[in-house]
Amino acid sequence: MNTAVERTDAELAIGDLRLPAQPAKLNLAREYAHHAAVAFGLDADRCYEFAFAVNEAVTNAIRHGRPDAHGDIHLSVSVEDDRLTLSVCDYGKFSGYAPIGAIDADRGRGFMLMTRVMDAVQLCIGAGSTTVRLSKARL
Amino acid sequence: MGFFYIGDEAAVEGASHGADIAVIVAGGELDFAASPQIRERLGERIEAGVRRLIVDLSGATFIDSTAIGALVAMAAQVDELDGGSLLVVCPDENRRLLRIFEIAGIESLIAVHSSRAEAMRELAVAG
Repeated sequence: MNTAVERTDAELAIGDLRLPAQPAKLNLAREYAHHAAVAFGLDADRCYEFAFAVNEAVTNAIRHGRPDAHGDIHLSVSVEDDRLTLSVCDYGKFSGYAPIGAIDADRGRGFMLMTRVMDAVQLCIGAGSTTVRLSKARL
Repeated sequence: MGFFYIGDEAAVEGASHGADIAVIVAGGELDFAASPQIRERLGERIEAGVRRLIVDLSGATFIDSTAIGALVAMAAQVDELDGGSLLVVCPDENRRLLRIFEIAGIESLIAVHSSRAEAMRELAVAG
Protein backbone atom coordinates (compact mmCIF):
# COMPACT_ATOMS: atom_id res chain seq x y z
CA MET A 1 0.00 0.00 0.00
CA ASN A 2 1.21 3.45 -0.83
CA THR A 3 1.70 5.87 1.97
CA ALA A 4 0.77 9.50 1.50
CA VAL A 5 4.42 10.39 1.15
CA GLU A 6 4.98 7.86 -1.61
CA ARG A 7 1.96 9.13 -3.47
CA THR A 8 3.27 12.67 -3.24
CA ASP A 9 6.63 11.56 -4.61
CA ALA A 10 4.96 9.68 -7.44
CA GLU A 11 2.85 12.70 -8.30
CA LEU A 12 5.88 14.94 -8.37
CA ALA A 13 8.22 12.56 -10.24
CA ILE A 14 10.13 15.55 -11.52
CA GLY A 15 13.84 15.21 -12.01
CA ASP A 16 16.47 17.89 -11.65
CA LEU A 17 16.96 20.46 -14.36
CA ARG A 18 20.31 21.57 -15.66
CA LEU A 19 19.58 24.86 -17.28
CA PRO A 20 22.00 26.75 -19.55
CA ALA A 21 22.70 30.08 -17.83
CA GLN A 22 21.20 32.16 -20.61
CA PRO A 23 18.31 34.66 -20.49
CA ALA A 24 16.70 32.92 -23.48
CA LYS A 25 16.31 29.76 -21.34
CA LEU A 26 14.36 31.43 -18.53
CA ASN A 27 11.05 30.24 -19.95
CA LEU A 28 12.23 26.66 -19.34
CA ALA A 29 12.87 27.46 -15.68
CA ARG A 30 9.34 28.89 -15.40
CA GLU A 31 7.84 25.82 -17.09
CA TYR A 32 9.77 23.51 -14.76
CA ALA A 33 8.62 25.45 -11.70
CA HIS A 34 5.04 25.67 -12.91
CA HIS A 35 4.97 21.95 -13.67
CA ALA A 36 6.25 21.15 -10.16
CA ALA A 37 3.71 23.49 -8.55
CA VAL A 38 0.81 21.97 -10.52
CA ALA A 39 1.96 18.43 -9.66
CA PHE A 40 2.21 19.41 -6.01
CA GLY A 41 -1.32 20.78 -6.07
CA LEU A 42 -0.99 24.52 -5.63
CA ASP A 43 -3.91 26.52 -6.99
CA ALA A 44 -3.51 28.47 -10.24
CA ASP A 45 -2.57 31.79 -8.65
CA ARG A 46 -0.01 30.19 -6.37
CA CYS A 47 1.47 28.20 -9.27
CA TYR A 48 1.94 31.49 -11.11
CA GLU A 49 3.58 33.07 -8.05
CA PHE A 50 5.82 30.05 -7.62
CA ALA A 51 7.04 30.24 -11.23
CA PHE A 52 7.43 33.99 -10.86
CA ALA A 53 9.72 33.64 -7.81
CA VAL A 54 11.78 30.87 -9.42
CA ASN A 55 12.22 33.05 -12.49
CA GLU A 56 13.62 35.81 -10.25
CA ALA A 57 16.05 33.42 -8.55
CA VAL A 58 17.30 32.03 -11.87
CA THR A 59 17.60 35.53 -13.31
CA ASN A 60 19.77 36.51 -10.32
CA ALA A 61 21.88 33.38 -10.82
CA ILE A 62 22.39 34.22 -14.51
CA ARG A 63 23.18 37.87 -13.82
CA HIS A 64 25.25 37.67 -10.68
CA GLY A 65 26.25 34.04 -10.22
CA ARG A 66 28.33 31.54 -12.18
CA PRO A 67 27.26 28.39 -13.97
CA ASP A 68 28.99 25.02 -13.57
CA ALA A 69 31.77 23.86 -15.94
CA HIS A 70 29.11 22.99 -18.53
CA GLY A 71 27.53 26.43 -18.38
CA ASP A 72 24.52 25.26 -16.39
CA ILE A 73 22.59 26.33 -13.31
CA HIS A 74 21.00 23.50 -11.31
CA LEU A 75 17.34 23.37 -10.34
CA SER A 76 15.74 20.70 -8.17
CA VAL A 77 12.48 20.19 -6.31
CA SER A 78 11.67 18.54 -3.01
CA VAL A 79 8.60 18.05 -0.87
CA GLU A 80 8.69 18.19 2.89
CA ASP A 81 5.52 17.97 4.95
CA ASP A 82 3.08 20.18 3.11
CA ARG A 83 5.68 22.37 1.52
CA LEU A 84 7.14 22.41 -1.97
CA THR A 85 10.71 23.66 -2.25
CA LEU A 86 12.58 24.49 -5.42
CA SER A 87 16.33 25.03 -5.16
CA VAL A 88 18.32 27.13 -7.59
CA CYS A 89 22.06 26.54 -7.34
CA ASP A 90 24.86 28.38 -9.06
CA TYR A 91 28.60 28.18 -8.52
CA GLY A 92 29.46 31.77 -7.92
CA LYS A 93 30.63 33.45 -4.77
CA PHE A 94 27.72 35.37 -3.32
CA SER A 95 28.53 39.06 -3.26
CA GLY A 96 25.40 40.43 -1.67
CA TYR A 97 22.23 41.95 -2.99
CA ALA A 98 21.33 45.60 -2.97
CA PRO A 99 19.47 46.62 0.19
CA ILE A 100 16.02 45.09 0.26
CA GLY A 101 13.46 47.82 -0.14
CA ALA A 102 15.56 49.95 -2.48
CA ILE A 103 12.66 49.77 -4.88
CA ASP A 104 14.13 51.96 -7.58
CA ALA A 105 17.35 49.99 -7.70
CA ASP A 106 17.32 47.33 -10.38
CA ARG A 107 19.08 44.80 -8.21
CA GLY A 108 17.38 44.01 -4.97
CA ARG A 109 13.90 44.27 -6.41
CA GLY A 110 14.03 40.65 -7.57
CA PHE A 111 14.92 39.29 -4.16
CA MET A 112 12.30 41.45 -2.45
CA LEU A 113 9.65 40.14 -4.85
CA MET A 114 10.64 36.54 -4.15
CA THR A 115 10.14 37.03 -0.43
CA ARG A 116 6.73 38.59 -0.98
CA VAL A 117 5.25 35.71 -2.97
CA MET A 118 6.91 32.75 -1.25
CA ASP A 119 6.29 31.37 2.24
CA ALA A 120 10.04 31.01 2.78
CA VAL A 121 13.18 32.04 0.92
CA GLN A 122 16.49 30.63 2.14
CA LEU A 123 19.87 31.69 0.89
CA CYS A 124 22.55 29.04 1.40
CA ILE A 125 26.04 30.33 0.78
CA GLY A 126 28.64 27.61 0.38
CA ALA A 127 32.37 27.77 -0.32
CA GLY A 128 31.88 27.34 -4.05
CA SER A 129 28.18 27.69 -4.60
CA THR A 130 25.11 29.76 -3.82
CA THR A 131 21.70 28.13 -3.45
CA VAL A 132 18.38 29.87 -3.13
CA ARG A 133 15.63 27.66 -1.71
CA LEU A 134 12.11 28.83 -2.46
CA SER A 135 9.25 27.24 -0.53
CA LYS A 136 5.51 27.46 -0.74
CA ALA A 137 3.00 25.51 1.31
CA ARG A 138 -0.23 23.98 0.10
CA LEU A 139 -3.10 25.98 1.56
CA MET B 1 13.17 31.70 -25.57
CA GLY B 2 9.68 32.54 -24.34
CA PHE B 3 7.14 34.23 -26.58
CA PHE B 4 7.67 37.98 -26.65
CA TYR B 5 6.91 40.88 -28.95
CA ILE B 6 7.39 44.62 -28.96
CA GLY B 7 6.35 47.15 -31.57
CA ASP B 8 5.31 50.71 -32.25
CA GLU B 9 1.71 51.51 -32.88
CA ALA B 10 2.32 53.63 -35.99
CA ALA B 11 -1.32 54.60 -36.50
CA VAL B 12 -1.24 56.84 -33.46
CA GLU B 13 1.79 58.86 -34.38
CA GLY B 14 1.32 62.09 -36.23
CA ALA B 15 -2.43 61.81 -35.87
CA SER B 16 -4.58 63.99 -33.67
CA HIS B 17 -2.44 63.21 -30.64
CA GLY B 18 0.64 64.90 -32.02
CA ALA B 19 3.99 63.55 -33.04
CA ASP B 20 5.43 63.52 -29.54
CA ILE B 21 3.25 60.67 -28.29
CA ALA B 22 4.32 57.12 -28.97
CA VAL B 23 2.36 53.99 -28.17
CA ILE B 24 4.56 50.95 -27.74
CA VAL B 25 2.96 47.55 -27.47
CA ALA B 26 4.84 44.85 -25.57
CA GLY B 27 3.31 41.43 -25.09
CA GLY B 28 4.02 37.83 -24.22
CA GLU B 29 6.57 37.01 -21.54
CA LEU B 30 8.52 40.08 -20.42
CA ASP B 31 11.54 38.54 -18.73
CA PHE B 32 15.29 39.16 -18.69
CA ALA B 33 15.52 37.97 -22.31
CA ALA B 34 13.04 40.69 -23.28
CA SER B 35 13.78 43.57 -20.89
CA PRO B 36 16.95 44.84 -22.66
CA GLN B 37 14.85 45.21 -25.82
CA ILE B 38 12.14 47.11 -23.92
CA ARG B 39 14.75 49.47 -22.54
CA GLU B 40 16.35 49.88 -25.95
CA ARG B 41 13.08 50.47 -27.81
CA LEU B 42 11.83 53.05 -25.31
CA GLY B 43 15.26 54.69 -25.25
CA GLU B 44 15.19 55.03 -29.03
CA ARG B 45 11.81 56.76 -28.94
CA ILE B 46 13.01 59.20 -26.28
CA GLU B 47 16.19 59.86 -28.32
CA ALA B 48 13.99 60.55 -31.31
CA GLY B 49 12.28 63.32 -29.37
CA VAL B 50 9.22 61.55 -28.03
CA ARG B 51 8.27 62.98 -24.66
CA ARG B 52 5.06 61.14 -23.92
CA LEU B 53 5.02 57.36 -24.07
CA ILE B 54 2.27 54.85 -23.58
CA VAL B 55 3.45 51.28 -23.03
CA ASP B 56 0.55 48.94 -23.67
CA LEU B 57 0.99 45.67 -21.77
CA SER B 58 -2.52 44.33 -22.40
CA GLY B 59 -1.08 41.29 -24.18
CA ALA B 60 1.66 40.56 -21.63
CA THR B 61 1.29 37.26 -19.77
CA PHE B 62 4.32 37.68 -17.53
CA ILE B 63 6.60 40.44 -16.27
CA ASP B 64 9.70 40.11 -14.11
CA SER B 65 11.73 42.53 -12.00
CA THR B 66 14.11 43.38 -14.84
CA ALA B 67 11.28 44.42 -17.19
CA ILE B 68 9.68 46.41 -14.35
CA GLY B 69 13.13 47.92 -13.76
CA ALA B 70 13.34 48.92 -17.44
CA LEU B 71 9.93 50.62 -17.28
CA VAL B 72 10.78 52.40 -14.01
CA ALA B 73 14.14 53.58 -15.38
CA MET B 74 12.59 54.86 -18.59
CA ALA B 75 9.76 56.57 -16.69
CA ALA B 76 12.34 58.30 -14.50
CA GLN B 77 14.32 59.35 -17.57
CA VAL B 78 11.33 60.81 -19.38
CA ASP B 79 10.07 62.53 -16.21
CA GLU B 80 13.23 64.65 -16.27
CA LEU B 81 12.26 66.06 -19.64
CA ASP B 82 9.97 69.03 -20.09
CA GLY B 83 6.43 67.67 -20.43
CA GLY B 84 7.69 64.12 -20.32
CA SER B 85 5.50 61.27 -19.15
CA LEU B 86 5.39 57.48 -19.39
CA LEU B 87 2.13 55.64 -18.80
CA VAL B 88 1.51 51.91 -18.71
CA VAL B 89 -1.70 50.30 -19.92
CA CYS B 90 -2.84 47.09 -18.26
CA PRO B 91 -6.54 46.17 -18.27
CA ASP B 92 -8.33 44.91 -15.16
CA GLU B 93 -8.69 41.46 -16.77
CA ASN B 94 -4.90 41.06 -16.72
CA ARG B 95 -5.02 40.20 -13.04
CA ARG B 96 -1.68 38.43 -12.92
CA LEU B 97 0.30 41.37 -14.24
CA LEU B 98 -1.56 43.75 -11.94
CA ARG B 99 -0.81 41.43 -9.01
CA ILE B 100 2.92 41.61 -9.80
CA PHE B 101 2.71 45.41 -10.04
CA GLU B 102 0.99 45.42 -6.67
CA ILE B 103 3.63 43.15 -5.11
CA ALA B 104 6.39 45.26 -6.63
CA GLY B 105 4.77 48.44 -5.38
CA ILE B 106 5.28 50.37 -8.59
CA GLU B 107 2.19 52.57 -8.20
CA SER B 108 4.29 55.45 -6.91
CA LEU B 109 6.80 55.08 -9.74
CA ILE B 110 4.67 54.42 -12.81
CA ALA B 111 1.07 55.35 -13.63
CA VAL B 112 -0.93 52.28 -14.69
CA HIS B 113 -4.15 52.82 -16.64
CA SER B 114 -6.76 50.22 -17.48
CA SER B 115 -7.17 51.21 -21.12
CA ARG B 116 -5.33 53.02 -23.85
CA ALA B 117 -8.18 55.52 -24.16
CA GLU B 118 -7.83 56.36 -20.47
CA ALA B 119 -4.07 56.81 -20.85
CA MET B 120 -4.63 59.06 -23.87
CA ARG B 121 -7.08 61.19 -21.89
CA GLU B 122 -4.54 61.50 -19.09
CA LEU B 123 -1.88 62.67 -21.54
CA ALA B 124 -4.28 65.11 -23.17
CA VAL B 125 -5.04 66.66 -19.77
CA ALA B 126 -1.36 66.73 -18.83
CA GLY B 127 -0.25 67.97 -22.22
